[in-house]
Amino acid sequence: MKLDPDKKLDLQEVLKDLDKYRPKRKGWSWRKPIKNQQIGPFIYMNTSANLKHSIPLPAAEYFHNIDPQCDLVITTEIASGRFEDDLRRMRMAAWHGADHIMVIRTTGQSHIDGLIEGTPEGIGGVPITRKQIRATRKALDAIEEEVGRPINFHSYVSGVAGPEIAVLFAEEGVNGAHQDPQYNVLYRDINMHRSFVDAAESKKIMADAGLLQLDGAHNANATAKEAWKVTPELLVQHAINTRYSRAAGIPAELIALSTVPPTAPPAPKLRLDLPYAVALRDLFSGYSFRAQQNTRYMEADTLEASVTHVLDTLISRLTSTDIQSTITPDEGRNIPWHYNNIAGINSTRQTLMGIDGINEQLELKYDGPLRVQARELKERAILFLEEILESGGYYAAVEAGQFVDSGYFPERNGDGIVRDPEGGDGADTVILREPGYGAPVCSHFGNNVYAHGKDKPCDDYGGCTLCSPVKIQYIDELDPEDNVEHRLDLPLMERAQGLLKPEVEKHGDGIVCVTLFVPESPPVAEQAALEMTIHMGLKDPVVISRRMMHPAEGSVFEIKGILDVAINKDDLPRFAGVEPLSNEEIEAWIRPHDIHVVAATVGEDEHSVGLHEILDIKHGGIEKYGFHCHDLGTSVSIERIVDMVEKVNARVILISTIVTHADVHKQHMRQLDKHVKACGLREQLVLVAGGTQVTDKLARECGMDAGFGRGTTGRDVASFLMRTLRDK
Amino acid sequence: MSSLERPDDFEIRRAHLQSMSDEELHVYFWNLVDQIVRPLMEEACTHTSPSIERSVLLRMGFSSIESKQLVNQLHQHKLLGYGAGRLVLELAITKDITVREAGEALLSGKHWQELNP
Repeated sequence: MKLDPDKKLDLQEVLKDLDKYRPKRKGWSWRKPIKNQQIGPFIYMNTSANLKHSIPLPAAEYFHNIDPQCDLVITTEIASGRFEDDLRRMRMAAWHGADHIMVIRTTGQSHIDGLIEGTPEGIGGVPITRKQIRATRKALDAIEEEVGRPINFHSYVSGVAGPEIAVLFAEEGVNGAHQDPQYNVLYRDINMHRSFVDAAESKKIMADAGLLQLDGAHNANATAKEAWKVTPELLVQHAINTRYSRAAGIPAELIALSTVPPTAPPAPKLRLDLPYAVALRDLFSGYSFRAQQNTRYMEADTLEASVTHVLDTLISRLTSTDIQSTITPDEGRNIPWHYNNIAGINSTRQTLMGIDGINEQLELKYDGPLRVQARELKERAILFLEEILESGGYYAAVEAGQFVDSGYFPERNGDGIVRDPEGGDGADTVILREPGYGAPVCSHFGNNVYAHGKDKPCDDYGGCTLCSPVKIQYIDELDPEDNVEHRLDLPLMERAQGLLKPEVEKHGDGIVCVTLFVPESPPVAEQAALEMTIHMGLKDPVVISRRMMHPAEGSVFEIKGILDVAINKDDLPRFAGVEPLSNEEIEAWIRPHDIHVVAATVGEDEHSVGLHEILDIKHGGIEKYGFHCHDLGTSVSIERIVDMVEKVNARVILISTIVTHADVHKQHMRQLDKHVKACGLREQLVLVAGGTQVTDKLARECGMDAGFGRGTTGRDVASFLMRTLRDK
Repeated sequence: MSSLERPDDFEIRRAHLQSMSDEELHVYFWNLVDQIVRPLMEEACTHTSPSIERSVLLRMGFSSIESKQLVNQLHQHKLLGYGAGRLVLELAITKDITVREAGEALLSGKHWQELNP
């Protein structure tokens, strides 16, 4: 399957012949750091190879549209409940720089004793099934070709079916997974014996398939009352899973610790979070780190969340990390919307590019309070370990409520999670292996009569599925209603009809978000805001964010609602900015015609960058095609422009108008049109306006021949000018 | 204050750690972790579970549905301690049939009396 950047992902193609699809590679992929890499005008210290296709940060417009890629793997977590919608989100995320796609599982899958098959819809995540995994891997295999970088696909090996899910992941080319039996015990109340016995098998399977393992310690952080007080325990949880994983056969290079800076402003974040980050990296030297951004103290304010996440990313760079996981800024208010996955990725890579090479100029002070506090954390963690042993071991310590207590250990508040070692889901299901116990398969952990000798345990019957994937039994669908083919009927029909609806999560969900400031006290303002959205035609409006600006002066609200309207794209007015012509074609016509262009930023406006981008040869501007450009500079009057037109017998006027206060940009355009008409010059001239708030439609309404907004290139303008001049 | 409650007595408890160098502290940390993990690992080496046994049958070429049914039935016969995979493979060898045929036969109720742990 090959993707065309100008075409939508063909979901039917993804689903075709899935029974035969095999992943093109297995195992985890890191980015390859390139030191001192020249990209555009800059030399970067912490980047990796550029992508074939990507969408740069917005401000890249001022820097030749460069899109440097950091040297860390970038994670985004994706789950709408429908994997077919998630595939489109994954493609968008990959174009914005994500190469670790973490798929959240549907609620309750941890307690399903066995594998799920088919493609049922999930809640808060997708049911992890073979078909869904295979289709996703197939799409990602194509997406990684499109962007030019391996994409790691990741999900969860937990619950009461861990070993089966691990086999599934190994067979289907999943590249990474969370695996930590402590997560089962503490957060899913799955029996301890079952969790640890299953975990050893799961880890062995993951190790042999080259999956990167993340642990589950970050959950203690997300659930603790005061997250910074759980840090000694986090060191303990990381250590137990790490040592257990090593014993089960996972090499150090495939173990990544999942760590989160615990706090957020207004707490003194760096002063609290840095000692923990340092202590962790000291104790776990030789392992990888997956730094997640804070979710514990997220509210509905997406900007506040983004600032916290920027600080989290700064901590990652000041200490070290291998994977920077991003959290969507809207996670504090809803299941993430797809464009917020992109927002989270973008604020992270913006940060990482902004602090590129920071460790060459700054270093942490290791002889001050940082070292003292890091040392204290390690000692508190050791006291925690000592108490586990004093209690009689891990199971007894959990039974005694030692874990996830809100006290700063050794302080205890008596509110830890208590589990019965003989209770929980899957209690009494662990079975003693008899002396003759055998499992004639690869990647099996523990006592096994087939594990001796040099031959593979599966040689007796021609190989297991890990050696001979043709033996994998593929089940397509079990439910005639709840499956992807059924769900796609409507979207595919709407697409064929050219119907477009807004969406944030799933095809055609119709959800839009509007921002309203209402100048009243909060309760009145909120009621009024909701009423206003009903007048806008939104169904089921819900306030998803409220922020008081002043108790009496007003509040701002973000309100989501459903815009139940489908637009047929065939009914839309034709877009003026037609396909650009080739450079050679433009130059071949323009150069011999000696076209003079008068350009200026009009009014009281000192912005000049945008116009330079359109004119200057060194920015790929229109000069390179042979236009004779007369740039009059900034804050130029209409009269001066027209004087110059007459002087050089110009055929084109380009005005830039950035300031829009009191619609002054519209006035400038209308004045220009009026003035050239009064001078009898309108017929010979092509009038073009540009600016961040200018659209083609607006410019034409104001008497221009065309208008160009953000993202316009010299080639776009030159193509328009050539077509227009040729037809005059 | 319940038995699970305790004030922060870090300064008293840390007395034996204070004189350790950072390196000694790290070695001690991992030594304690090893002591905690060892019995858990021992249990994993010597025990199995329905999920592990289903994962073995998956690797031997059975579907998730077949694996689940086979493991449930083997569990009812109190045979899982011998390993579902081993029982199926040995049946296949004894009967000179493929592993899949052996599993399918068991699923259709045949050869149960011939399973020989």
